[in-house]
Amino acid sequence: MSLKSGIGKKDTKMRIRAFPVTMDERYVNSIWELLKNAIQEIQKKNNGGLSFEELYRNAYTMVLHKHGEMLYKGLRHVVTDHLVIKVRTSVIMSLNNNFLQTLNQAWNDHQTSMVMIRDILMYMDRVYVQQNNVDNVYNLGLMIFRDQVLHHGQIKDHLQQTLLDMVMCERKGEVVDRGAVKNACQMLMVLGIDSRTVYEEDFERPFLHQSAEFFRLESQKFLGENSASVYIKKVEARINEEAERAAHYLDKSTVNPIIGVVEKELICKHMKTIVEMENSGVIHMLKNHKTEDLACMYKLLKRVDGGLEAMSQCVSSYLREQGKALVTESEDVDTKNPINYVQNLLDLKDRFDHFLHESFGDDMKFKQVISSDFEYFLNLNLKSPEYLSLFIDDKLKKGVKGLTEQEVELVLDKTMVLFRFLQEKDVFERYYKQHLAKRLLLNKSVSDDSEKNMISKLKTECGCQFTSKLEGMFKDMTVSNTTMEEFKNHIQAMGSNLSGVDLYVRVLTTGFWPTQASSPKCTIPTTPRQAFEIFKRFYLAKHSGRQLTLQPQLGSADLNATFFGSKKEDGATSTLNKTSSGPRKHIIQVSTYQMCILMLFNQRDKLSYEEIQTETDIGEKDLIRMLQSLALGKLTQRILVKEPKCKEIEPTHIFSVNDQFTSKLHRVKIQAVVAKGESDPERKETRCKVDEDRKHEIEAAIVRIMKARKRMQHNVLVTEVTQQLKSRFLPSPVIIKKRIEGLIEREYLARTPEDRKVYTYVA
Amino acid sequence: MPRRRRVSANDDSTRACSKRARTTVVSSRKSSKLASHHSPLSAFSSKQCITWFHEYTNADEDVIGPEGMEKFCEDIGVEPENIVMLVLAWKLDAKQMGFFTLPEWLKGFSEILCDSVEKVQGKLEYLRSILNDPVQFKSIYRYAFDFARDKDQRSMDIDTAKAMLTLLLGRQWVLYSCFHQFLEQSKYRVINKDQWCNILEFSRTILPDLSNYDVDGAWPVILDEFVDWLKTRQQLHIEVAQM
Repeated sequence: MSLKSGIGKKDTKMRIRAFPVTMDERYVNSIWELLKNAIQEIQKKNNGGLSFEELYRNAYTMVLHKHGEMLYKGLRHVVTDHLVIKVRTSVIMSLNNNFLQTLNQAWNDHQTSMVMIRDILMYMDRVYVQQNNVDNVYNLGLMIFRDQVLHHGQIKDHLQQTLLDMVMCERKGEVVDRGAVKNACQMLMVLGIDSRTVYEEDFERPFLHQSAEFFRLESQKFLGENSASVYIKKVEARINEEAERAAHYLDKSTVNPIIGVVEKELICKHMKTIVEMENSGVIHMLKNHKTEDLACMYKLLKRVDGGLEAMSQCVSSYLREQGKALVTESEDVDTKNPINYVQNLLDLKDRFDHFLHESFGDDMKFKQVISSDFEYFLNLNLKSPEYLSLFIDDKLKKGVKGLTEQEVELVLDKTMVLFRFLQEKDVFERYYKQHLAKRLLLNKSVSDDSEKNMISKLKTECGCQFTSKLEGMFKDMTVSNTTMEEFKNHIQAMGSNLSGVDLYVRVLTTGFWPTQASSPKCTIPTTPRQAFEIFKRFYLAKHSGRQLTLQPQLGSADLNATFFGSKKEDGATSTLNKTSSGPRKHIIQVSTYQMCILMLFNQRDKLSYEEIQTETDIGEKDLIRMLQSLALGKLTQRILVKEPKCKEIEPTHIFSVNDQFTSKLHRVKIQAVVAKGESDPERKETRCKVDEDRKHEIEAAIVRIMKARKRMQHNVLVTEVTQQLKSRFLPSPVIIKKRIEGLIEREYLARTPEDRKVYTYVA
Repeated sequence: MPRRRRVSANDDSTRACSKRARTTVVSSRKSSKLASHHSPLSAFSSKQCITWFHEYTNADEDVIGPEGMEKFCEDIGVEPENIVMLVLAWKLDAKQMGFFTLPEWLKGFSEILCDSVEKVQGKLEYLRSILNDPVQFKSIYRYAFDFARDKDQRSMDIDTAKAMLTLLLGRQWVLYSCFHQFLEQSKYRVINKDQWCNILEFSRTILPDLSNYDVDGAWPVILDEFVDWLKTRQQLHIEVAQM
């Protein structure tokens, strides 16, 4: 209450008239009556004749004179009365007739009138409501509507039922009044007043529950009637439909929950069934290349937790089964032929790479699963490293049929992928060296470039250590060429001609090339031997301190051969004998061993096996092989004949030159009887060598680690060693332990006295 | 102290040994007999010890060989295979089983103050008792490996090992008989030092039912194999018992 402070000053400009502190009670009541009527008119939608200003002022006055409470309470009464008496009744009456519309209409009307009422009572909102911490006018209206109308027993239940029924109808394919539902849902949301609890309780929860029931039944029906791919498509459709419905006329916040329900009922609960469905599930799809169906399934299962897990497991077990079948020695699968073996595996990888890319969207999980499966079954067969090397060998040899350079490159890249899966890479290295040596020495490589290309691929995978020896082999070949040039000059200068022998020597550095246990023996005939001696002297003069050892198992020779035709019987001239029986000359390409054997026949006509063996000093196994290819091969290859004419070779059998030998070619190459891949005893030997090497590598790793760390606990050491060696092979902890013991015995390591589990490095 | 030079038949040999330090040791004052140095109550005499040593050697050698050893064992009344002999060898720090050198003899016997058979016999109990001390026992056990092995080899051959182990662990390790059987049927031809030492550790730390055996315990492979073998057998026994 402001009072003018000054006395006597009669300033008429601003006169603040002091308000009467108390108001006449009658006056207050009359104001209230006025307002009350106004409110009721508004509620009857008769607000046209009302003066906003007057009403506002009156409300203002009441609040100012501290009659806010009366006003507030009065308001509540009026609104409640109206809603209960008028509105609720009419809604109830319409329960079976236009219920939703009536309710919606009532709601709309209520909102409109409450806005107007709030406007005229705004002062109360600002002052009284704030001061007394009660609900503002609008919210008060909402609450009354909610409590008196909406949550009135029958109405509440009926609303819920109506809405649910309408959704159900639409699901079944009928058309419903979406607007009405939308309105009702929005009403529920608003009536929550800053929360969605009303909506949730009155509608959403029962809606989700009903939906779950519905989809549960639907899923069973669908599954029973349809194949997996059809089912998946139906589920997709349903999900889209429900999402669209929720977005359209339910509240947007319901979209995710309802999708969740659909996913749960239609997907989650039936994941296994879908994946494993007979004749239409994942396995069926994989078998029949149904890339698109798989993609659909992938997309669907991605929605739910564990969906992709289930699918990838199924894919994995199928893949493992297929892979295992390819690598396991059995009657029907060709595991003896290395080329087919590897090709089959490459084809399998291609198939699954295709699925990975087209159906699984290069999903990381699937990629890992496929890789680990390949690693699993590739290593089931211990011959995989050898076969892989043979496959590559085949592609790098001359005469690889039907593939362009790029195609070969592509195949080799794919082979490298398989190589990565090998656990026994050191075994592969050994075989690769062997095969490369053969290719280089027998001059079978298609080109140096492609060889070097392959080696650089291996280098990228395994590092320099792997390939340094291979590169050494190449270097030897180049150096040999140079050496031979110099040798030729040397002979010319000397004026000798090596007794007509055209000699070509390749000098191999022992460390690079695959080693034999010891060089096999062989008695070289005089002429070539002398020629070689000249070379040897020449070479050792240049490189003193080196030692040269002849490797007869690796060389080859071209021989000039004269075949004298059949001996004529005395007096008999056969006119039928049209072919010329004069001497025929051929050049025959043979191995060193074969040369030794054949040149014996320059001195003698007939030789027994025993004699040949004594003269040449060739080992039995090799000798038999050589004689077989000379005497028991195709007719166009038969340089020698054997008596008796059986397949077996006995020490007493006699060999002689086949003077009847004919061939269309002047230059005849004698094929050696060579098996692809190793025989079992050879394989065992290779395995032994590998094991020996591994022992050394493990020990080297142990010493290396211990030297750096000085002290280490047993388990930690084992782990470190395994880690260091795993790019070459997987050592077992037992083997590592044995090596540790060996090193303890040789006093490289010792156990610490305090703790026997800790080792120290002994300097 | 009146100095009385005793003229004795053994004087020559004593004089012969006089090259070594002639420590003045007066033997028993009680008797003037020449054989008085055999009395168990007399103080230790190196000279006597050395003399006694030569009772077991050939000619002028400084080493007691297997024959002398046999005689020695006879004299003290202990079988050569008796574990007390091992303890004695350990005391002497003898390098090679079946042989005692003079330095070894002298050093060892001075420590236990024995220069005669009787004195040794008096010490046998003491020597046996050393085995009860775990620390000393471990030392003896480890010593036994180097002692018993063939000197040109690094490891001990399996038969010697079995014999030594029986001697050392036969009575105190519950699982010893199993281990012995295991060794019989295994392909091991030698035992190396690391394995040897770990056998003792194993016998001391691992319970007979193998319940505290740890696969990651860094035991030598031979012991891992022993455990596997034993477990298989125990399993079979259970199965048989259940039948």
